[in-house]
Amino acid sequence: METQAPDTGEQVFETLKYIIDPEVGINIVDLGLIYKVSLQEKVLTVELTLTTPGCPMGSTIITAVEQILSNRFPELQVQVELVWSPPWSTDMISEEGMRELNGV
Amino acid sequence: MSTATTSNSPGKWVVLPHFAFAALAFVALSVLLIFSTDAFGGHYFHPKLLTLTHIAVLGWATMLIFGALYQLLPVVLECKLYSERLAIASFVLLAVGTVLLSYAFWYFEVGWVMHLAGCALFLSFLLFSFNVTKTARLAPKWTIDADFIVTSTYWLVATGAVGLLMALNFTMGFLPADHVHYLKLHAHIGMAGWFLLLIIGVGAKLIPMFLLAHPESSKKLTWAYYLINAGLVCFVFDHLFFQTGFVWLYAGMVVAGVGLFMLFIYTAYKSRQRQDLDLGMQQTFVALALVLLPLVLLFVVSTELPLPQELLSAIYLVYGISVFLGFVSALILGQTFKTLPFIVWMHAYEHHVGRYKTPLPKDMYSHAWLRWQNISYLLGYVLLVAGVLLRVQDLILAGAIGFTITSLFYTANVYLLLLHKVKQLKPFSYGNASA
Repeated sequence: METQAPDTGEQVFETLKYIIDPEVGINIVDLGLIYKVSLQEKVLTVELTLTTPGCPMGSTIITAVEQILSNRFPELQVQVELVWSPPWSTDMISEEGMRELNGV
Repeated sequence: MSTATTSNSPGKWVVLPHFAFAALAFVALSVLLIFSTDAFGGHYFHPKLLTLTHIAVLGWATMLIFGALYQLLPVVLECKLYSERLAIASFVLLAVGTVLLSYAFWYFEVGWVMHLAGCALFLSFLLFSFNVTKTARLAPKWTIDADFIVTSTYWLVATGAVGLLMALNFTMGFLPADHVHYLKLHAHIGMAGWFLLLIIGVGAKLIPMFLLAHPESSKKLTWAYYLINAGLVCFVFDHLFFQTGFVWLYAGMVVAGVGLFMLFIYTAYKSRQRQDLDLGMQQTFVALALVLLPLVLLFVVSTELPLPQELLSAIYLVYGISVFLGFVSALILGQTFKTLPFIVWMHAYEHHVGRYKTPLPKDMYSHAWLRWQNISYLLGYVLLVAGVLLRVQDLILAGAIGFTITSLFYTANVYLLLLHKVKQLKPFSYGNASA
């Protein structure tokens, strides 16, 4: 996970925590789906992945990210890109995510 | 990198009617079971038992699998369903065929109603198999899961073809051997070829996904695929042309294949990141444990043990029950609540996520009903099996009541999901995401 716009980056990650993966039940940031957030000029770009290729939630999660960020940062143009490299693995789940996952 | 091909899911009218029909079929099956306790005292070739079996197999299990598969195929194969129209046509034919066939068996009218039912069902299977095969050809990469799924549809067509021939043979009498001979073929290619291969193909993808486990190798699955199919092909040829007495060997190949699948699941289970299993997954593991009984009984029915005829008849019945009302039903009862809430949620909230606070799929059905469904199912199943084995009608009746209670809890929950309406949603107030 990498941010190129530290000020906005933190707010972006905080905002994206509102989006919960409906199957796993934890937010997409702690699930490790957000690979990169960058801001160039007025374009906010988010690179994200899915837990598995063919995941039926793909379009829903992408639309959700676009909508929530456009809503939160109306002055920016939001671009969401789906990437498959590196493939998502459970090692990418944050400590907080693991705690939520196992109900600790 | 692309955002264009992320949603391969078909429309809800392709998928959801299957769940609606299957739930009602499960209720009908359970209620008819209450009125059929007298049928379990003899041979399995009995009008009431044939009715129950076909409602279970077609209206309940196959109907639900068709619907679920239209949703899951794009997940497993990573591409869109080839044709939604074919899927709807296949649904209508399966529904009509099931109702007509059930009527024909219950009143044992072996004329045009049964012929029409057989034709509708066979056509439904053909369309389904064609749709799945064409979808698989669109897949960006071929996996062993795809092999299992596509091959299972060919066995489904073969099962339907044998069934149709038997239906026609009731009045035309052209088959060289008696019905029981072909019934064994029909039942086994249906059980191991259609249900087992399909369940392994889908289960191998979904169960690790739900457990958040990523099995490294699919070697065990590859071996399982070849063992089960080889066992089935040998069985078919032997049964039709040779009758060598090696059926136990073919049964052993199928059992070995199932064993390898179970090992694959065990590996996934051991490496799972998700320790907390929800009710749907608990029921799924109950189903996987229940598969042991039919596997053991497979050897009993495939070897000619010198058992008393009455006991042998009861064992045959328990064998069939343990497959359809045991393993397959238990799996459906669990996996429905891993897939249906998700499908309904996606159609209801797809355009709201990111703008409003939305409920999660697990909030859309009753967990208490699901818990009671699982408990009454297990009780009903144990009582039914015990009743059939011991030939005690009161136990069979108690088992049937258990199944009816199960079906009511299940159907109530399924319709709660199907009739879910989006309520007034609150927009996000940013500040604390975990609030």
